[in-house]
Amino acid sequence: MASYMSMGEAHRRITDYLNRFVDVISYQDGTSLKPLLSLSSESPSFLALADALNLFQDANRLIKQADKYSQYAEIVAPLFRAMQSYRVGHLVESYQAFEKSANAFIQEFRNWESAWALEALYVVVYEIRILAEKADRELASNGKTPEKLKAAGSFLMKVFGVLAGKGPKRVGALYVTCQLFKVYFKLGTVHLCRSVIRSIETARIFDFEEFPVRDKVTYMYYTGRLEVLNENFPAADHKLSYALKHCDPQSEANIRMILKYLVPVKLSIGILPKKALLEKYTLVEYSDIVLAMKRGDLRLLRHALEEHEDRFLRSGVYLVLEKLELQVYQRLVKKIYIIQKQKDPSKAHQIKLEMIVKALKWLEMEMDLDEVECIMSILIYKNLVKGYFAHKSKVAVLSKQDPFPKLNGKPINS
Amino acid sequence: MMNQGGVTDTRTILEQKSSLEHHTVDPSHAQNPSYYAPPPGSEPASWTSYNHDQQSDPRSVPQASAGTVSSSGATNIEYANYSAYPNNDPYGYGNTNYSGYYSSYQQQPNQPYPQQQPSQTYGQPAGAYQSTGAPHQPISTFQNAGSYAGPTSYSTTYYNPGDYQTSGGYPSANYNNTQTNSWNQGSYANYGHQYPNYTAESNGAYNAQSAPATSVQYQQDYKQWADYYSQTEVTCAPGTENVASTSTSNLAPPPVAASGYSAPNSQQLSASTAPSSWRPESGLSELPSVQSSAPVNNVHEGYWKQGGQGFQNYTVSSMQSNFQKPLDLNPISGSFQNQQKPEVPQQPYVPYATSHQVAQTYHPLPPPPPQTAAPPFDSARVSNVQIPTNPRISLNLPASLPKNSNASVGGTKPAYIGVSLPKINDNASSHAAAESSLKPGMLPKSLRGYVERALSRCKDDRQMSACQDILKEVITKASTDGTLSTRDWDTEPLFPLPNVDLINNDSTTPSSLIKSRRSPSRRTKSRWEPLPEEKPVEKQLSFTPSNVKHSGPSSNNERDKQVSTARPENKENKFSNLKFYLGNQKETNKAGLRPAKRQHVGDGRIGLNDGDSSSDSDKEQSLTAYYAGAIALADSPEERKRRESRSKRFERNQGSRSAPILTKTKNVGGGNLYTRRASASVLANSNSLDDGAASRAVEDIDWDSLTVKGTCQEIEKRYLRLTSAPDPATVRPEEVLEKALVFVQDSPKNYLYKCDQLKSIRQDLTVQRIRNELTVKVYETHARLAIEVGDLSEYNQCQSQLQTLYAEGIKGQDMEFSAYNLLCVILHSNNNRDLLSAMSRLSVEARKDAGVKHALAVRAAVTSGNYVLFFKLYKDAPNLNTCLMDLYVEKMRYAAVKCMTRSYRPTLPVSYVTQVLGFQLTDEKDTSGLEECTEWLKAHGACVATDNSGEMMLDAKASMASLFMPEPDDAVAHGDASLAVNDFLTRSLS
Repeated sequence: MASYMSMGEAHRRITDYLNRFVDVISYQDGTSLKPLLSLSSESPSFLALADALNLFQDANRLIKQADKYSQYAEIVAPLFRAMQSYRVGHLVESYQAFEKSANAFIQEFRNWESAWALEALYVVVYEIRILAEKADRELASNGKTPEKLKAAGSFLMKVFGVLAGKGPKRVGALYVTCQLFKVYFKLGTVHLCRSVIRSIETARIFDFEEFPVRDKVTYMYYTGRLEVLNENFPAADHKLSYALKHCDPQSEANIRMILKYLVPVKLSIGILPKKALLEKYTLVEYSDIVLAMKRGDLRLLRHALEEHEDRFLRSGVYLVLEKLELQVYQRLVKKIYIIQKQKDPSKAHQIKLEMIVKALKWLEMEMDLDEVECIMSILIYKNLVKGYFAHKSKVAVLSKQDPFPKLNGKPINS
Repeated sequence: MMNQGGVTDTRTILEQKSSLEHHTVDPSHAQNPSYYAPPPGSEPASWTSYNHDQQSDPRSVPQASAGTVSSSGATNIEYANYSAYPNNDPYGYGNTNYSGYYSSYQQQPNQPYPQQQPSQTYGQPAGAYQSTGAPHQPISTFQNAGSYAGPTSYSTTYYNPGDYQTSGGYPSANYNNTQTNSWNQGSYANYGHQYPNYTAESNGAYNAQSAPATSVQYQQDYKQWADYYSQTEVTCAPGTENVASTSTSNLAPPPVAASGYSAPNSQQLSASTAPSSWRPESGLSELPSVQSSAPVNNVHEGYWKQGGQGFQNYTVSSMQSNFQKPLDLNPISGSFQNQQKPEVPQQPYVPYATSHQVAQTYHPLPPPPPQTAAPPFDSARVSNVQIPTNPRISLNLPASLPKNSNASVGGTKPAYIGVSLPKINDNASSHAAAESSLKPGMLPKSLRGYVERALSRCKDDRQMSACQDILKEVITKASTDGTLSTRDWDTEPLFPLPNVDLINNDSTTPSSLIKSRRSPSRRTKSRWEPLPEEKPVEKQLSFTPSNVKHSGPSSNNERDKQVSTARPENKENKFSNLKFYLGNQKETNKAGLRPAKRQHVGDGRIGLNDGDSSSDSDKEQSLTAYYAGAIALADSPEERKRRESRSKRFERNQGSRSAPILTKTKNVGGGNLYTRRASASVLANSNSLDDGAASRAVEDIDWDSLTVKGTCQEIEKRYLRLTSAPDPATVRPEEVLEKALVFVQDSPKNYLYKCDQLKSIRQDLTVQRIRNELTVKVYETHARLAIEVGDLSEYNQCQSQLQTLYAEGIKGQDMEFSAYNLLCVILHSNNNRDLLSAMSRLSVEARKDAGVKHALAVRAAVTSGNYVLFFKLYKDAPNLNTCLMDLYVEKMRYAAVKCMTRSYRPTLPVSYVTQVLGFQLTDEKDTSGLEECTEWLKAHGACVATDNSGEMMLDAKASMASLFMPEPDDAVAHGDASLAVNDFLTRSLS
């Protein structure tokens, strides 16, 4: 297309853009400003503008020509460069230019009293993250150290600083926080989230309910994930449940993402999901685990963990799922108990260690007596089984009342 | 004269104070002989600076009431004083500041001062200063200089002594403010010292701009000096006398020249090179003016401010030097000194005051020397020559000092200046003063920030408009008077002349324009570009004497500054200086930069020359040695260039100085104090220089150039944490390191010895940037040793290095170490995130590795709390996995016993516990394990009893509540047993 564009046409497009840009700012029309900054949207008008810029080359002169343009030269000039570089696939350069433009935009934004440009700021913040990710991919493919996302992280912190204050702009803080979460989770530097979380949750200027629902859900999702990593299951359950409850039911992908963490959390506090739920959101990797918990099938659990190890490790739920093992043992012992009870109710509360070893052997889990004794000891210690173990006779003596207490939403004693 | 007269009245007290201060400063410059020489030189420099000041002063001096303005005012006054000195008129004129001062003085009489004062818009003045710096110097300042240079002006300047008093009047407005403000800056005093440097710069400017005029001025100055000398006693009179003398001075100079003045003249000639440097200085002076404005505006970039400050300081120093001479000659000087001292104490100056006092003492010496002073002058000239370089430094230093807060950037330079002054007086005191002064200046910081922003944007766009916008923003942010000046600055680039401020507009606008232009160019050119000195030199030739003189003081100042200025400040200052230099160069002439640099080097050297050659040289050597390290560290090509340029400058200076040197030597013989101080100052200078170099190095370190190639052939080497650049003579090359590794591996000595040796090997590898399989081997060896003895901190260092080394594709036992890493994360960091990432990083092959498999199994056992499995794995652990597990055994056992006491009833045989918890690693009938287990259980509060059959039983229920984790036996307060005192003693003994 570019080849067919005449110089005049290019000139027209650029001045067109500049006029719109200046007008939109003077009208404080945040909604109309958004598309003017959205680099990665790759809309036709944007592409045409980028082509025009590449053809015209000397857009800076145009910007300087008129005072009304040149007052925003620091935003527009690097933005043009970013567009040009983006169009020709130089993403690192594009990112650098865009960051410069964004910096200037932040400066302007700081001076605008009202929050009219908040939507546009969101676009900038989003674009800078997306561009940084793309730039890092380009860097990595060239064998260089990907560092742009990190730079974007520090830029976003700066933006957060601009928004975190009294006044109408503070409602934008959570959006930036969420984008920061995305950056940090991607970079694997989630410990950096802590400072932002602290300011969101402790600063009095923020009333959490005041933020847009969209941002609240995202925020709860990420902080819930952090709690999963910390194995703080009640808190994780609370946050992820909040996210699930407020998430747009139409956006199934988001619900799936939330469930991906909520299901293991619920499992670890003894709440099993219905099969239909897992199927609806294609979380079938959990179905075997749920089944193993229902059956007390240690082999199935281990198999499922092994099968999806990469996935679970990457999402960070592996250790959580692994700890379900104790519940599986509990279920197994309970099944033995139930069978014994059917045979001889008077002796049902005495479970011989050999029985358990046999059952495990039937599951093809080879364990010696000491190991199983240890597991029984742990089950009792963790209050998954009520009773005691008699070493001399190698018998687990179960309490006659509620020998297998249910977790009922409480985490296992550690 | 009128002004002088009226001014003198008002000034008498104030000015006397100021003049005294200046005088004292001069004495401090001390080295009176040299100072004398310097004073001329400094005067010229001061003149230049004065011109700036004047420019700013007239407009901004009143404004100067603001700290910066005041400082400029003070400097102006001082300059005036200086100008009063022979140099003052010409120099002042030549130097914008001086000229400014002169003009301001004149103006003041005329009303310019009043106007300026009324204007009170420091910012404008500042702007004016800056702008004046360049444009004013050429135009108004020169004109002023011309007029001033005209005997009258000079007389006024001469009056400066008188003028100082009168200037006091001027100052009264300005000075009063300035005294507090500028004086506060202590740096001013320092600046005064620095001024010599600055003066040199200013001279350069003068030379460039008003070279002819300046020459005249210089002559006048010289004449004045001569007059002073001749009139010496008539200090107050000097003002009037000076006027006459100045007029006559032109004539008189020759006679004077015959004595010390003649020497100064010759020095001036030599200084001719200095003038070139002066030009830069003039630029600097402009900058200073800017700085003054900067304080006001803050917005003005720190560079400007710094430069301005530095200039101001310089001017002051020159003034001081002049004053010193007068003081020496005149009894008044003593009084002035006294006054000055008080003033100094008031602010940063206090240190200066002390220095001034010292200077006074020196003065006594100098007075006799005046003739001898000629030699000092020569030295001063030499130093002046160097000064050109110094100016930059001095500028920077002064700037930093005034800016104190700004300081970090500009502060260093000012600090340098201040240092130089202090050196004269007492290096330490002066330095302290300078430092103190530096600290106070908060504005400079803002200025810096402002400047930095502007500069950065400029770099980006290189568009003045962008810079302006930035500057505007900064200005708006900046509080107080400065805003106006800042606005000026901002507008200047966009709308050069028209936008300029009201009164100051004429001079300021151009300067501002120049500045704006400069700022961008400065950055780019600042560091590396050598300035063309030739033009300045030619012009300066006539002026050189003054320059030389200035250089002398400046050198001292520089030294002092350097000393006083913190290294960081120096760095910043340097940067700012560099920028300023660039700007100056562009404005005045590029030559200025080089001269300045040369001056730095030369100053130090000159100081040495001036001082006792032996002591100085020794000091220098020590310094050079000291610096060598730093240089090596920061031995980037850029720095090398700089050094080369510096040394070249020095050479040139020496060449021109050859005659001066003789005089210097003479002086040396005469002035022990001077020499000592000079030596001290030299040391300080060298330090400061080093610092500067280091600072620069930090910015753009070329690691390749820093990489050391070792030559040490010793196989054994103790580890010593480097505090300086590595010395190739103590670094072992790779082949020796290989032997050293084998040697350590085979050594029968203990871990502490091996650890020490391995650390030194690692250090040698690091400084030589050797990253290959040997490196991996060393780290692996060390990591294994550390695991064996449980030295986790050392192990972690090795492990993190190994991870990056493996990631680079260097072959090693990466499986083994990823297993260790896993174990370490599992057992000791207890961080799920780390564990997950460590696990997910494991490759398919790694998962098949026995060590890794074992580690994963251990992990599973630990996370599930399966103690039986854990101790089974413990028994058959591959590699050193056992050692890492060892560190977790205690915890695991305790958790296990806790679990057992909770779940077992009623009792549990100890033999079972012994077996399950790994006390007995063999199946043989060995009671030692049982005993150990019993001991352990008892130590942890468990109830152990013998049952009927004689078997030891653990009473589970009774033990449940009594279990506790005993304090580790080998625990140390600092948490690292390896740091126990005994170990430490054995280490240090070995």
